Amino acid sequence: MSSYLLFLILGLGSGATFAILGLGLVLKYRSGGVVDFAHGAVAMFIAYVFVNLRSQGVLPLPLIVVPDHIRISSTGIDTTLAIVISLVYAALLGAVLYFLIYRPLRFAAPLTRIAASVGVMLTFEAIGVLNFGTTSQTTPPILPTTPITIGSLTFPSDRIFFTGIVVVLAIALWLIYRFTRFGLATQAGAENDRGAALIGISANRVAAINYVIATVLAGAAGILIAPVANLDPTSYTLFIVPALGVALVGGFRSFWLVALAGILLGMGQSEIIKFQSQWTWFPHGDIPDALPFILIILTMTTRARSLLARGEAMTQRNPSVARPKNPMASAAFCLIAGTLIMLLLQGSLRNAFISSLTVVCIALSLVLLTGYVGQVSLAQMTFAGVGGFMLGHISHGWGLGFPFSLILAGLCAVPVGILVGLPALRLRGVNLAVVTLGAAFTADALIFNSQGFAGGLVGLPIKPPHLLGIDLSIAEGHDYPRLIFGIMVLVVVILMGLLVARLRRGAAGRMLLAVRSNERAAASVGINVPQAKLMAFGIAAFIAGIGGALTGYQQGTLTADGFATFASLGLLAVVYVAGIGRISGAVFAGIMMSSIGLAVTFLDERFGIGKYQTIVAGLALIVTAIANPDGVMSTTTGKGPAVLYFKLQDAVVARIHGTVTTKTPAAESEQPAEARPAVEQPHHV
Amino acid sequence: MTGLTPKMPLLDVRSLRVAYGGVVAVADVDVSVAEGEVFGLIGPNGAGKTSMIDALTGYQAPSGGSVNFDGRDITNMRAHRRARLGLARTFQSVELFDDLTVDENLLVASERAGVMLALRDLFLPARAPDRTNVDWAIDVCDLGGVVDRYPSEISHGQRKLVGVGRALAQKPRLVLMDEPAAGLDTDESLALGQRLRSLPDEHGVTVFLVDHDMSLVLAVCDRLMVLDFGHAIAQGSPAEIREDPRVLEAYLGSHGTPVATTAAGSGS
Repeated sequence: MSSYLLFLILGLGSGATFAILGLGLVLKYRSGGVVDFAHGAVAMFIAYVFVNLRSQGVLPLPLIVVPDHIRISSTGIDTTLAIVISLVYAALLGAVLYFLIYRPLRFAAPLTRIAASVGVMLTFEAIGVLNFGTTSQTTPPILPTTPITIGSLTFPSDRIFFTGIVVVLAIALWLIYRFTRFGLATQAGAENDRGAALIGISANRVAAINYVIATVLAGAAGILIAPVANLDPTSYTLFIVPALGVALVGGFRSFWLVALAGILLGMGQSEIIKFQSQWTWFPHGDIPDALPFILIILTMTTRARSLLARGEAMTQRNPSVARPKNPMASAAFCLIAGTLIMLLLQGSLRNAFISSLTVVCIALSLVLLTGYVGQVSLAQMTFAGVGGFMLGHISHGWGLGFPFSLILAGLCAVPVGILVGLPALRLRGVNLAVVTLGAAFTADALIFNSQGFAGGLVGLPIKPPHLLGIDLSIAEGHDYPRLIFGIMVLVVVILMGLLVARLRRGAAGRMLLAVRSNERAAASVGINVPQAKLMAFGIAAFIAGIGGALTGYQQGTLTADGFATFASLGLLAVVYVAGIGRISGAVFAGIMMSSIGLAVTFLDERFGIGKYQTIVAGLALIVTAIANPDGVMSTTTGKGPAVLYFKLQDAVVARIHGTVTTKTPAAESEQPAEARPAVEQPHHV
Repeated sequence: MTGLTPKMPLLDVRSLRVAYGGVVAVADVDVSVAEGEVFGLIGPNGAGKTSMIDALTGYQAPSGGSVNFDGRDITNMRAHRRARLGLARTFQSVELFDDLTVDENLLVASERAGVMLALRDLFLPARAPDRTNVDWAIDVCDLGGVVDRYPSEISHGQRKLVGVGRALAQKPRLVLMDEPAAGLDTDESLALGQRLRSLPDEHGVTVFLVDHDMSLVLAVCDRLMVLDFGHAIAQGSPAEIREDPRVLEAYLGSHGTPVATTAAGSGS
């Protein structure tokens, strides 16, 4: 019995970390409405600062150029001093991040801020990998670990300190935000920053201070956990998932609930590990990682309301949505242009173009789901992965041939999409994003890591496609990747594009846009809002599943690498920044911005950006989000890269128009898909 | 309650109660609306008018009582299903679909799209949508000039009309209007009144009108009810309501003069 208790107590360590990270997230949200996906990454970086200071006397800089560190002492420095320096460092970092990124975006749509914070997350993770490597580091304990014995139970005393720190922090924060002028100012600023300004509160300064405090908390969490859990860039960055989970349980408001949820989560995870070692019947696999998600789902389904009540204004500001003017002509143009590109490119670049097309396909599913219906999903790569791996099972085990195997693989993703979509019936905006992220994380841990479903490290073999005796496979002898395979992928992706265009133009699109615009009003005209949302999740999962299956055909042996949690986050951010309300946004994201796509591969081959790829992508994401809050492919801002791009596109189209019309009448009406002047969405406040 | 009790009530509400926590917004109100009439609900701010509409249309669960529509108990039916039965509503703050044009706003209402229609529309050959009800609603609300505009591009008065048009495009049997005249100028309000009056008389749509504008309500309605602090304090014809001392008290205090003299004589 006491060993079960012991594991509960041991879990206090990670529980305290989740709690402190969650408290920081609450601060950021309460003061500036920011849900900061980079919170875990910043904690990771500060943890490295601390460890390097302590063991080598080196102060790492958030840079990848030389110098990337400053040597303070030739040996290590005193632990207390290292902690103090690290926390001051965190404060400075928080201030810099706030003024460079979050302040310029304080009036931007929530999704823009999410995209920017994902950029920060990717950047810091990349810096971590580049500067500190991926092998995990350990550091000696900070807190006293003398064994304490209570009854038959002996455990390290630091767990008591961990808990004490969380309790003290929660009390301190509660007192500050409840009773001090600063705390009230935070509240006022969060609710109405202009109103707060009128009564002499600088919402900006208050938000900045809160952001700094939150970053210091993130740093503290990173430092505290460093001796307990091995420090490496990726796993610390992923602390964001449980941290978001506990913040969500506290409704992004209550310090008490967040602290409690964090500690319980840590204890629960630890206890499950005990169960798994103790009871043979207990399900194996990465259940502890799935626990945050289960926690999120349970709280959310019991708490949230399905229909917004009167006076609960929609705070979500929707990106503009384009209406494709002439989908058939655009499709014909894409077919010709795509085939030409496929002919021009060879080897790795042609392969990168094919990768781009698969990304376009998955991005199309986001255009439908997040663009048209306003449902923020961070699980698209999960749907893609289900499609991809199911294709393996279908093509080999069941012996079904192309194209039925492909279609069936896409259909297999539909129930998963509907399942992930269920929380959307009660959740909106950022809350939904967190839940879908949890779902992706869980699928990652439970499904994609399983040997049987995903083939483990080796991967799952996919039978190459054949159609009517024609070999459509990607490789034949030294011919790789084959032209005919590329064209097959191109045709499938164009068909998916046509599906999305058709959906937008017909009754379904009107219904979904009505739901996005105003759920209350949609119900008043007889639209079954929950059903409409689930339908969107289902169709989007189908399209993403097709994209994943195409990836499967491309790779031959499919591994789970490409479908990790971060991939979904990166995809949403990239598509959002490219223009999530339009098909051309998906195309731009796949070809120009995807890290496996054509543009990045070309840059890599030409300029050898290689290992800097992620960091370039992360920085590009931040810059683009700040410069184009409504998406690169949007024409609403009337300035910046969007207009430049469309001038370019118009010029190209005009050129093609002149030369191609004689051959293909279809190309005549080729034009930018978003020819209608997009309307600036009103701000629902 | 005095007042006429219609023989064939289209909407029959018995002791409807709406409470938010301890605050009672609607206290055991009985209402009965006959097919083919314009029924008015008036009351000062905070009287419970919108709570009442919300409870009737499925946006607020009542804490007690029953709602019958066309002989069916719809007390706990979900909002979109009530709409499909022919119970349409407008909103006080209009709440149009900002991402859709005026025409699409009406079209999406007339289609009452479900998943099956949407899927058929996706995979089967395109069919031109049935525009009968849309064109009728455009005609009734005189929206011909703005059909291709977006809600953000038209005036407040026009938006209000689009809201009415959107409710009508469903070809409902009963339409509940939440302050359609609020924010309109006198001329617009007058024109709106004429349109509302024509709905039961010429188009067979029963109207449940909630408004602040006494002159409009008295001019247009066949019968009306006055709500004050959640209680129905009077019910009857416009002439009766105009004379009712309790209404004068609620609206003007005890020393008030008769209400809305401007509308006198145009009541029925």
